[in-house]
Amino acid sequence: MSEKLYLKNQMPAILVNLMGMLALALFLLASGNQLQTVLFIFMAWLMILITYLSAAYFIRKRDLNQLLAMAEQLEERYLIPEIMKKPKKADEQVFYQIMKMAEKSMLEKIGEIRNERKEYKEYIEKWIHEAKIPITAMKLLCENNRSPFTRTILTELEKINQYTEQALYYARSEHTEKDYSVREIALCDVVHSAIADNKYLLRQNNMTITIDNIENRVYTDDKWVRFILNQIISNAVKYRSEQPVLHFSTIKANDRIILSISDNGIGIPKSDLPCIFEKGFTGRNGRTGKNSTGIGLYLCKRLCDKLGIGLTAHSENNGTTIALSFQINDFVTGVQG
Amino acid sequence: MKKKIFIVEDDFTIQAQLKTLLSGNGYEVFAVTDFSQTIQQIKAFVPHLVILDIKLPGSNGFEICSEIRTFSDIPIVFVTSSNTDMDELNSIMLGGDAFITKPYNTAILLAKIAALLKRHTPSPQAEYFTWNGVTLHLESSLIEYKEQKVELTKNELKIMYYLFKNAGKICSRNDIVDFLWDNQLYVDDNTLSVNVTRIRDKLAQIGLIDFIKTKHRQGYTL
Repeated sequence: MSEKLYLKNQMPAILVNLMGMLALALFLLASGNQLQTVLFIFMAWLMILITYLSAAYFIRKRDLNQLLAMAEQLEERYLIPEIMKKPKKADEQVFYQIMKMAEKSMLEKIGEIRNERKEYKEYIEKWIHEAKIPITAMKLLCENNRSPFTRTILTELEKINQYTEQALYYARSEHTEKDYSVREIALCDVVHSAIADNKYLLRQNNMTITIDNIENRVYTDDKWVRFILNQIISNAVKYRSEQPVLHFSTIKANDRIILSISDNGIGIPKSDLPCIFEKGFTGRNGRTGKNSTGIGLYLCKRLCDKLGIGLTAHSENNGTTIALSFQINDFVTGVQG
Repeated sequence: MKKKIFIVEDDFTIQAQLKTLLSGNGYEVFAVTDFSQTIQQIKAFVPHLVILDIKLPGSNGFEICSEIRTFSDIPIVFVTSSNTDMDELNSIMLGGDAFITKPYNTAILLAKIAALLKRHTPSPQAEYFTWNGVTLHLESSLIEYKEQKVELTKNELKIMYYLFKNAGKICSRNDIVDFLWDNQLYVDDNTLSVNVTRIRDKLAQIGLIDFIKTKHRQGYTL
């Protein structure tokens, strides 16, 4: 609260007092009082006025600062009318009423948007489940009639499936509710199923797969990790080199298990490396010919953050290594001995 | 005796293709024809295993599952396009034995079915194959010819398994590599050639020459 403005606001009251003082002084002088007496009364009045004004100012400033601090601490600031005291002054009550009204319409709007988003998410999920039925049918048709031609279709089907999954997990990651469940899984199972998901894509591109020591067990959601691995594998295929190699391995470091996926592809320029997990970032690789959406890795990062998995990328001149680091829960392993 | 599988799936193409796939793998298959009569049809067919979709016309997969459980404990495989935790949890709570999401890998589906059937109705399974006097022992990964034996590596055993299973037919290199990938052995075309050469060397040690024949541009055959 600004002092100057407060003083300006109090101007009418101050003026009325001054005029009162003046009138009283004139009356007292006219009725034959001594100038000294008049001056004394004058000073006393002024003292009382100043004391009143400054006391009122400080009390008011204290209360309003409290309110301001309260509002600043609040995460959802529009909820301030819910926790503030109902004011007693007539004009403040009007403002209070206005704030209440604003809060109510805000809450209604938020509820509306929340509902719309929920409905949209449900629609997307439903749509994806519908789309998976013809994908399944086509996959079965192709697998029952194997030929070089159907192999190509199977490769494309894997891509379509990957894109639908991406939309599904995007919808899920945007939503605040928990859509995963953590349980003990064997890393090798997830890695093998992710490779199986991309079998034809990897085969068509002559990708050599090597796997080293992935016998560890971790606590996480297998579906989400599988999706993340699928995304990393499809990137490795997209940015592959002449004789592509994809290597999976794990190491145990302190209280973490780190799953590394390395390729010998075209790598990521050093200047791009810090931004690859940002939404919509396509980088130099994405701009030169390969159409990149800038969603895949962003989504991986988001899902990893939710699951508490560390996600890092390293890239030398050629080849990229993506590392997923899983926390080994001391409590869980402790209980199991 | 052929194992019997009952399919509850409302998408006609998937139903037909699943039938083709499963009967091609030696199962007797029956697919539901009237969704209001599903339970009666299952009772009439007496299958060894049921493949069950969740979203169905009429009563859904969960309801059918709990109804089956009132009269039978045969393995039930849930196959669905929805992969939410709720559905998975529900399917397990109601007595489902496996939960597979669409689009599924056929190799994984077949492996799951085989494993469930083996666990539920154990039958003396062929642990060896014989073709033209040569025997392939799966358990000990040995190949035997006229009392002489030679040991095979994991890759070699799987290649021989595939050739024996399709004995007499031509197996394309692509199909063999696909089969190896389904068994989590990620070999490429060159490795396959190397492996086949090694198998031939081993077979030569026990006096088998030209047991695996190369069909030019087509593949291998026994």
